[in-house]
Amino acid sequence: MGTRLDKFNFILNSPVVDIEKLQKLSWSGVPSSLRCAVWPLLLGYLPTNSSRRATTLSKKRAEYATASLNAFDRPLDSKLWHQIVIDVPRTNPGNPLWQNDTAQRSLERILYIWSIRHPASGYVQGINDLATPFYQVYLSNYIQGDAHSCDPSLLSATHLQEIEADTFWSLSKLLDGIQDNYIIAQPGIMRQVKRLNELTRKVDPELSLHLSDQGVDFIQFSFRWINCLLMREVQMSNVIRMWDTYLSEGTDSFSCFHTYVCLAFLNKWSKQLKLLDFQDIIMFLQAPPTQSWSDSDVELLLSEAYLLKTVWDNAQSHIS
Amino acid sequence: MAISRTTMATEASSYDYLFKRNTTALADAASAVLSRFTRNEFNMDSKSTIGVEFATRSLQVDNKTIKAQIWDTAGQERYRAITSAYYRGAVGALLVYDISKQSSFANVERWLKELKDHADANIVIMLVGNKSDLKHLRAVPTAEAQSFTEEKSKLEDGTQSSNPIRFIETSALDSTNVENAFQNILTDIYQLVATKALEGGDSIKPSNGETITVAPTSDNDTKKGACC
Repeated sequence: MGTRLDKFNFILNSPVVDIEKLQKLSWSGVPSSLRCAVWPLLLGYLPTNSSRRATTLSKKRAEYATASLNAFDRPLDSKLWHQIVIDVPRTNPGNPLWQNDTAQRSLERILYIWSIRHPASGYVQGINDLATPFYQVYLSNYIQGDAHSCDPSLLSATHLQEIEADTFWSLSKLLDGIQDNYIIAQPGIMRQVKRLNELTRKVDPELSLHLSDQGVDFIQFSFRWINCLLMREVQMSNVIRMWDTYLSEGTDSFSCFHTYVCLAFLNKWSKQLKLLDFQDIIMFLQAPPTQSWSDSDVELLLSEAYLLKTVWDNAQSHIS
Repeated sequence: MAISRTTMATEASSYDYLFKRNTTALADAASAVLSRFTRNEFNMDSKSTIGVEFATRSLQVDNKTIKAQIWDTAGQERYRAITSAYYRGAVGALLVYDISKQSSFANVERWLKELKDHADANIVIMLVGNKSDLKHLRAVPTAEAQSFTEEKSKLEDGTQSSNPIRFIETSALDSTNVENAFQNILTDIYQLVATKALEGGDSIKPSNGETITVAPTSDNDTKKGACC
């Protein structure tokens, strides 16, 4: 077998996809033309058995269409709907796709339906961000060129419904793994913030000391990193590349592995941070200089996170 | 309408005064006012505030440089557990509502209670009616907000509190009064803190035990460590 693309195609075309092989290969990045086929498998949205895939897909899409009809066929939960409609236009404001009316209406429906089906959490600000990489990846299957700047209203209604349904189910799978980030008191996030703090103390004691000397509390900068999976800190293309790896890391990667990615991310700026005072630290970490990040910067971050996880994940008892 | 909040701290490393301040605000309105004040920018489509976000600006008050550290806090109720922590030890709070939405004004009462529950008793509170540029869409008359503020500033015996709730109307869009709002509340905080310093030595101990140093006026001799 030759190229990476060939390797992917070989796995994807087998009667039963070897998910471990697919994870292993995808960890280092999925070719953009194959993401819309690979992500649903990694997420467990579609079955590895190819003979069952088409049926499952049409069943899930039909199920979403019904859920959508039901949800909007009755009076809306006005408080929930209000929060969603004020957040949707503020989602990825720099990204032309998300200023598009068609994409925004889709996103509103996805968020609303997910929220009424998950009352323990409901819609929490930031979940809007998490739906968008899926939409963008699935959209790219239907268009020529860059999904980031395309006009989805040019697609047929059927295709738009397919993209919307696939985004919905993928978002649901993602959120299944991190629901305690969004329930009352957000214990999942609190746990990760605490862990990030403990790990920093071990991995970079000087930085840890400096932050505490300056009165910096980890929650002040890392809450958003965890709540939005670093989507506010790096570009969309970086996020999509990161998710190739996250989706390959297994079920708890958006919580456990993500903590190590945050640790590596913090570590990356250690030298600069040690020279800054309280407010400059917070300002820096709120808008870190990642604007020019390419895939290779992301890949370095992910490798560092992986190394840190390998060393520290089983060393929990030493930390506490 | 959801409410977002902003905590402010003012610190003194190379400045004249150190104190901590807390601002509470309504949804995107608050972020807009803050962005106008700290960066002189207005952006219709800024992202929603997640948890708590930080901003800072320096101001001259009484010939002293005051550096305001401002925490802009998320509007959604789910974030309240996190945001309420920022009230403790804060010296000021701005509650921003939208004058074109009665529902956002109606929420103010709830946020005043939040402050009462979590903030220090001597916190300076300012009610800010934003979007004063939307004259034709006004839903909350100035007089209504004014009398609400006076009512809320009464003590149990009916007399006015010596630390009443301040009130101002602003427009983050055209900048009207944004500077004044911050100038006024910072001046009031400064005076309150300076008076306390005269009365009780050079530090104030808020109820949660944090020490806020206020006295030093010379440069470089203060650690700001106490402020967070």
